[in-house]
Amino acid sequence: MDSLGRLRIALRFMVPLILMLETNIVRADAFDLARLMQLLAATPTAEVSFIEKKYSSLLSEPVVSSGKLRYQRPDIVEKNIELPRKEQYRFVGDELLLVRIGAEKRIRLSSQPLLLAFAASLRGVLGGDLALLRAHYQLSLMGDQPSWRLDLIPVDEGIGRYVERIVVSGHEGRIEQIEVREISGDRSVLQVQ
Amino acid sequence: MTESGYLSRLASGAVARYVAALLCFAALATLGARTIRIENDFTAFLPPSTTPEERLLIAQLRDGLVSRLMLVALEGADENTLARTSRKLAESLGRNAEFEYAANGSLDQFAAQGEVLMRHRYALSPAMSVEKFTVPGLRAALEEQLAQMASPFGALSRSIMTRDPTGEFLAVVRQFDSGAAPGLRHGVWFSGDGKRAFLIAQTRAPGFDSERQEQAMAAVRKALALENPQVNAILTGPGVFAAESRRLIRTDAERLSMLSALVILAMLVFVYRSALAVVLVAIPVAFGLLIGVLVVNTVFGSVHAITLGFAATLIGEAVDYPSYLLLNGAAGEVARNSARRLRVTLALAVLSTVVSALALTLSSFKGLAQLGVLTMVGVLVAGLATQYLIPWLLGDRVLSFRRLNIPTADFLERARWPGIVAAFTVAAAAAWLLHLHPVWWQRDLAGISPVPPALRVQDADLRREMGAPDVSIFLASRGGSQEAALRAAENMLPVLQRWKQEKLIRSFDSPARYLPPLDVQLERLHMLPAQPELERNLAQALKGLLFRPDVFQPFVDEVGAARATPPITLASYMGSPLGARLSALVVELDGQWLVLTPLGGVLDAGKLRQELLAIAESNSHVVDLKQTSATMVDGFRHAALTQAAWAAALILILLVAGLRSPKRALQVALPAGAALILTVALLVILGEQLSVFHLVALLLVLGIGLNYALFFERVSEDVDERPRIRLSLAVCSTSTIITFGFLALSSTPVLHAIGATVSIGAVLALIMSALWARRNEIAPAVT
Repeated sequence: MDSLGRLRIALRFMVPLILMLETNIVRADAFDLARLMQLLAATPTAEVSFIEKKYSSLLSEPVVSSGKLRYQRPDIVEKNIELPRKEQYRFVGDELLLVRIGAEKRIRLSSQPLLLAFAASLRGVLGGDLALLRAHYQLSLMGDQPSWRLDLIPVDEGIGRYVERIVVSGHEGRIEQIEVREISGDRSVLQVQ
Repeated sequence: MTESGYLSRLASGAVARYVAALLCFAALATLGARTIRIENDFTAFLPPSTTPEERLLIAQLRDGLVSRLMLVALEGADENTLARTSRKLAESLGRNAEFEYAANGSLDQFAAQGEVLMRHRYALSPAMSVEKFTVPGLRAALEEQLAQMASPFGALSRSIMTRDPTGEFLAVVRQFDSGAAPGLRHGVWFSGDGKRAFLIAQTRAPGFDSERQEQAMAAVRKALALENPQVNAILTGPGVFAAESRRLIRTDAERLSMLSALVILAMLVFVYRSALAVVLVAIPVAFGLLIGVLVVNTVFGSVHAITLGFAATLIGEAVDYPSYLLLNGAAGEVARNSARRLRVTLALAVLSTVVSALALTLSSFKGLAQLGVLTMVGVLVAGLATQYLIPWLLGDRVLSFRRLNIPTADFLERARWPGIVAAFTVAAAAAWLLHLHPVWWQRDLAGISPVPPALRVQDADLRREMGAPDVSIFLASRGGSQEAALRAAENMLPVLQRWKQEKLIRSFDSPARYLPPLDVQLERLHMLPAQPELERNLAQALKGLLFRPDVFQPFVDEVGAARATPPITLASYMGSPLGARLSALVVELDGQWLVLTPLGGVLDAGKLRQELLAIAESNSHVVDLKQTSATMVDGFRHAALTQAAWAAALILILLVAGLRSPKRALQVALPAGAALILTVALLVILGEQLSVFHLVALLLVLGIGLNYALFFERVSEDVDERPRIRLSLAVCSTSTIITFGFLALSSTPVLHAIGATVSIGAVLALIMSALWARRNEIAPAVT
């Protein structure tokens, strides 16, 4: 009786407090992971331009690259870098096709846990595949439909050794930014134009 | 005789005699328990080696790298679970005292041993050049690193970028990829279908040490049970074979000899209906075995476990002697008298077996020589015990037991045609065997290994799934010193590369890449600039790039350190998986050094040999362990056959001398010889390939066959003796057929071979003796 009463009091204080901190939060049942995945899955096959900045303690300024990101259901993701030099990363099935300086290289994703988890984050987010994301990450969603933020925290150590979290943010079914925060403190921020 | 009168007589002497015999046996048994050392090295049953290739083969089989690798396949769970279990298991086995390391293909594992390679990267990298450390060279490397940083691989390359911007470490690692590893899933080795995760563990114990291999297997199972009891593990590899076959031989030998002992006991009880008689029958065998083992231990310093397993074969023959004696006695006759009457026959029976075992004793197979000594001594002791000990123990006492009457087949005794039919059958069998020769010889060393075929099939399947290189073919590079041998191996690198391109081989894994010859290492280290020059070049190369100016200080420091680091040697690798692997591939043999390069996917070893001939002054040659083993087995067989021929000649001389008549000797020898031919023919018809172990068993058949013929041959004089002879032969042959019939059920090739051969041979020898050896009949001429 006593402890339950205390809990109620605590909740009565806590809830408004949380609501005050997250000013733009809406009712929990209106916008959740399932809804976000629905929105993302509804987005048609698309090609978007991006600018990516790599921040590192090794660099005096970030490395900036730009190009096009293309997604085609169910599992093709292409990152075509145009500047500073042409490079192509194409994830198809269990393979990463890499074209750099005119040379082609194929890598099996399942052979490299880091790549596998990285590909899963792109495919999961672009395709709205909740199961795929949950196989590699612990998910936490913040914000509301017009402005949301999804944190992917690695669960397997293959990627967890290098990546602290991946933060994806967007508006409705549109992804606006993907940020990869590395354990080393380096981070890369990919902004969709 | 009343019970009380009997007891008083016993008190006077009989008891004292039995007690004396028992004490004597107990004393011998205690001595045995103290001194006998049992060894398990299965190579004692491999042929002796004469050529360097053969010694290499034996060395590799005994404790080479190949013999120490244990393959572990995990199955029975989903991919994620298997991968996780594989990592945990590799980690826990790596710390286990039974293993040098456990590899599962994961990068972290590589990183663990990569530190040695990292430290010596400038001495090891084949991509070294002076240009790499000039301003343009460094500039290109740095630009490449910048691009890498922005790529999905950025997180990976970051960790070593500041130490190794020119990428020498990667160049070192890339050349080690032998191209024969299994595919990766979740970063660890998996089968193509993802149903099995693979690990390769190198045991500390050599492959032949079956006891410690068994401990290693138990360690794997225990670690797995702690990690995840649901996951099932299949273990295979030479060490596993050694352990498993030891276990199988032991359980088979125990189970089967227990069974046959029980059945024989039941038969003896049925025949004699006298406890004393059964005990008396057991005495010569017990003494023979014990003294035989003691002598083997004294001569060889130890007794091989398999030799002990063969002891069953000795029992099979020695148990017959007392039965011949007891069953041959007429009603009311004291054993002393029947012993005197049987003396020559028994002596010939014993001596012919001793002579046939002599052939084994001369064998250079250590295991077979032990077996020969055990048989010789055992049979001799059992014979003496039968001749002297049993009559002494019995004294004046007449052993009374029911004498079964074995009916005679009268028409067989009179008719001559069965003997003639048999003669034609033997001639036909001999001609057929000559015609087919030599396809019925077992030529593969694997065929005479004690490993059950099911295990070998499983091993082959797993290896295929893993894409594990076929470890039976090596390129062996020779030299007077380790350095010279490594130099010879290094000279072969371009050739190996070409072979790989031409698809003559699928992969190779040369130790020379891990241990370049000294001058090659020094040449590479000389390409490194001095510190001031490197700093100047680096500063200039960094101009206009986004890197912070001081981040490559570790690179500058490590280049400086590398210039002062002594060259990499075998010792540098010690304590790492690579060290364990290399020390098995760089070996000293007969005062020479050998560097072994395992070749994978060789289609035609002969072609490679021809190619090598064309290369002048190459100190390397191709060693095909399978082929070497076939030549070895052939060579051994020739030696064994020669010895057997000598033994046969000796036996014939013995018979002529003992029976004082060449005609009688022939009458005894022919049925035994015919039985041998028919046995071989029957085995071949049954689809068996004859191995060394069949030869051993055939020698035994010869001994048993001579015994039967001797007893058949000596009948006639006394009409009363005939039924007694029939009974003793019936009892003896039944016990032999039971003992070896059970052995034939064994799943172990060795035991099966001996069991099948002797039980078939005993039946045939009995038939042939019955047909040909009776004195009153004229032995049919053999065409």
